[in-house]
Amino acid sequence: MRLVWWLPTVVMISAATIFLSEQRALDPVQNLSLTVSAPAAGGLHDAARPVNDFVRGITDRGDITEENRRLREEVEQLQRALALQQDAQQRVRELEDIVEIKQGRPEDQLLAANVIAEDTSGLKRMIAVDRGTGDGLDEGMVVLSRSGSLVGTVSRAYEDFAWVRLITDPDSTVNAQVVPPPSPQPSPASPQPTPTPQPGASPPPTPAPAAPTPSPTPAPSTDESALRGVVEGDLRDELLLDLLPPDHTLPQGSLVSTSGLGGNYPRALLIGSVEAVEQRPQSPFTKATVKPAASLAGLDTVLVLLSFTPARLTEE
Amino acid sequence: MRYVIGALLAGLLAVLQVSVMQYVQVLGVAPDLVLILAASWAVVRGQQEATVVVPLAGFLKDLVTSDPLGTSVLGLAPIVLFAAAIRLRAVDTEFIPTVAVVALGSLTYGIISMTVLAITGQTVIWDQAVTRVLLPACLVNALFTPLVYLPVHAFSGQDRSSAIGTRRLTSPL
Repeated sequence: MRLVWWLPTVVMISAATIFLSEQRALDPVQNLSLTVSAPAAGGLHDAARPVNDFVRGITDRGDITEENRRLREEVEQLQRALALQQDAQQRVRELEDIVEIKQGRPEDQLLAANVIAEDTSGLKRMIAVDRGTGDGLDEGMVVLSRSGSLVGTVSRAYEDFAWVRLITDPDSTVNAQVVPPPSPQPSPASPQPTPTPQPGASPPPTPAPAAPTPSPTPAPSTDESALRGVVEGDLRDELLLDLLPPDHTLPQGSLVSTSGLGGNYPRALLIGSVEAVEQRPQSPFTKATVKPAASLAGLDTVLVLLSFTPARLTEE
Repeated sequence: MRYVIGALLAGLLAVLQVSVMQYVQVLGVAPDLVLILAASWAVVRGQQEATVVVPLAGFLKDLVTSDPLGTSVLGLAPIVLFAAAIRLRAVDTEFIPTVAVVALGSLTYGIISMTVLAITGQTVIWDQAVTRVLLPACLVNALFTPLVYLPVHAFSGQDRSSAIGTRRLTSPL
């Protein structure tokens, strides 16, 4: 008999609390609870990571060797691409100086934040970080990984903490562009494929590695070659690239970056690379599965882009 | 005192949930320790305590997750009903009923959470959520039940023997 009254009471109180929470009336309570639990949660999070790495190291040993070999090859390719890009950037700067073009994003102002918690409900992909409105965060701000690729946006900001919606969350939508990988063209500035090193010969000079400053990674693009679409998250921890024009071929490995359309994300932030393409004759659009560039599982530090104001904030 | 212990345990498990359980994923889902605690408490400790501890556990869970406050209180509420219904059981053990309540509770908790998310304007991909989250969560939570059930049962055992002991000491016989 007692339950007859208990259940409606709980339902009513819950409904009222959910309503108040949605109206942001309970933000101080949630901020306080995160303040109390953050040291323990952060400590446990940090302590569990090495254990997890160790266990994964044992279980994935074979995969790691293969991955290591693949990554070495990728680093070599990227170093070549970087050398080309640095040369191109230098030329662009010179040209901009000549025609006095105003730079769109002169210097990105980034704020590092530690990940203290992760939503494990399975229905959302969100992380909590130890920075809030007191540090200059606002809802809608763009969040990057340490290496500068897109991680998500600030979904809910409290005084000292914030929840970040990852790009793999079902609620995440990003206007994107795909740049097919450029066909290899020999250029005078580009180093030729590395020859097999001779015994005793000195190693060929390698281009300097990228500066440690985590600047967003611009994908080389021109408006003519880039295909535009929308990147959406779902519960498979992959991204779905939708609304692509149907008459274009999309090679696997093409880089996907933000297009800047809509004004909620700056242009040319790396999102990921195309893994599989789905083209159906009856479908008006091409779809593709995209693998996020940032490793979204087990993030420990992220960067919040403070200098870019998303359109959704300026509209308010 | 028992409510304080229940609340402390729920708070601890809620913090563990958001900090560590992301690394303990089976079938793509992390076990929900707070839900398992709520179910274990409801079956082992009885309806009277469950009506207080279960909402308290839900509230503490909401405080450290991104859900609107109140979602888990609502989501865990059916567990008290399941536990009450399962008291009319034929078997003389609390473990199997606890596993059943955990599995059923996981299902209703997921459905209620998804409904709240949808009502509050968030995207819910229902088919994926059912196949990739809801059904695996039932299995995984049931699988992890002993981890929380055993301490709760041990605590209750101590509580019961001390209660019996007191009665014996004060018995008029």
